[in-house]
Amino acid sequence: MGEPQELNTPQPSVANTGKAGVRYRQEALESFHEGFREAGIDFAVFLPDSMLDGVEQLIIERGGIDTYQCSREDEGIAMAMGAFLVGKRPVALMEGSGIGMSALILARGIVQKTPMMLIISHNSALGERYDYHGATRLVAEPVLRALDIPHHVLFDPGDIRRVIVEAQATIEGQRLPFGVLVPSHVIREIGEDR
Amino acid sequence: MNRTDVLRHIASLRNGDPMIISPGLANYAIAEAKDEPLTIYNMDMPYATPMALGMALGWPERRVISIEGDGSLLAGPGVLATIARYQPENLLIFVFDNGAYLTTGSGKAPTATAFGTDIEQWGRAAGLQNTRTVHDLEAAKSAVSAAFSEPGPWLVVAKVDKQDRPAERGPHSLPMYVYEAGLVFHRAALQERSAKK
Repeated sequence: MGEPQELNTPQPSVANTGKAGVRYRQEALESFHEGFREAGIDFAVFLPDSMLDGVEQLIIERGGIDTYQCSREDEGIAMAMGAFLVGKRPVALMEGSGIGMSALILARGIVQKTPMMLIISHNSALGERYDYHGATRLVAEPVLRALDIPHHVLFDPGDIRRVIVEAQATIEGQRLPFGVLVPSHVIREIGEDR
Repeated sequence: MNRTDVLRHIASLRNGDPMIISPGLANYAIAEAKDEPLTIYNMDMPYATPMALGMALGWPERRVISIEGDGSLLAGPGVLATIARYQPENLLIFVFDNGAYLTTGSGKAPTATAFGTDIEQWGRAAGLQNTRTVHDLEAAKSAVSAAFSEPGPWLVVAKVDKQDRPAERGPHSLPMYVYEAGLVFHRAALQERSAKK
């Protein structure tokens, strides 16, 4: 099987490297990684976005979680569902707009009892300073609510690890998807361009 | 070429391999040939192949099969690029291309392949190398057998007729409800994987 070569290439730590003018909160990135490992997450799929890039690059850098990049968010959720069905514990990471693309496959996951964790950048209320995120801001939480998918909006980076572990407990216990929404201040340094 | 004949050949080689089937007659043909626990029937389009890709990446020791229609694959062709990127050798995609949305309404609405869109070339442009388009049963059986015996990922496009449309309209039942499928599949996969540890 072909390896995701560019993803497996050792890279320097992404924390605070200022990629695209972004400074991530190192403790937040580490907490996501620790939470995934503690929750037994072993399969990740993502479509790159500026806010979660730090998490995605960190889990690639650290290894231990098979990580893949998809072409569209609903495709990625379907990939995560396939991974779950064969015994993996998957997470799908995406911008909130991707949830808007994914209502049908999420509904299928609920009906078919094939869940996954969702890590979602942008939320409806906090830190949305740019007009071009207006549609993104509007779509994620309403879709989660409409499908009755349990979700949690992070506020304190100190909660990240515990939220992920407890979310996975709900995912496995209830066989439901679970959304963890990540406002900008949780993952980026305050005062940075975000 | 009738797709049921090709599906029977696939079923004869399958040996319990995980399989996901997009909407349409193929579901009933596979179920009639042999129902297997590692089957997801009637996957909403266009998610059969993306879900099969996740299975193939998550269970590299096992061959994984996606049964697609032309309309279903055309609804989400970006997955071909993702497959080409990771090149899972254990993924087999069989596309039954009849040039129409045969299961909908009158069945007369054509797909883009009726106007020249070439799914195999789409796959090759994405970066897939093991691809075939077949126009008769003998060639189809040969391509299917190759896909089952040689490393993939494989994309086999079978140009089939619309003669099974009457059967499509008949009464059918599948061996499993959608809301059972995830539980049955997951349990079977876990049991098989734990038994091999």
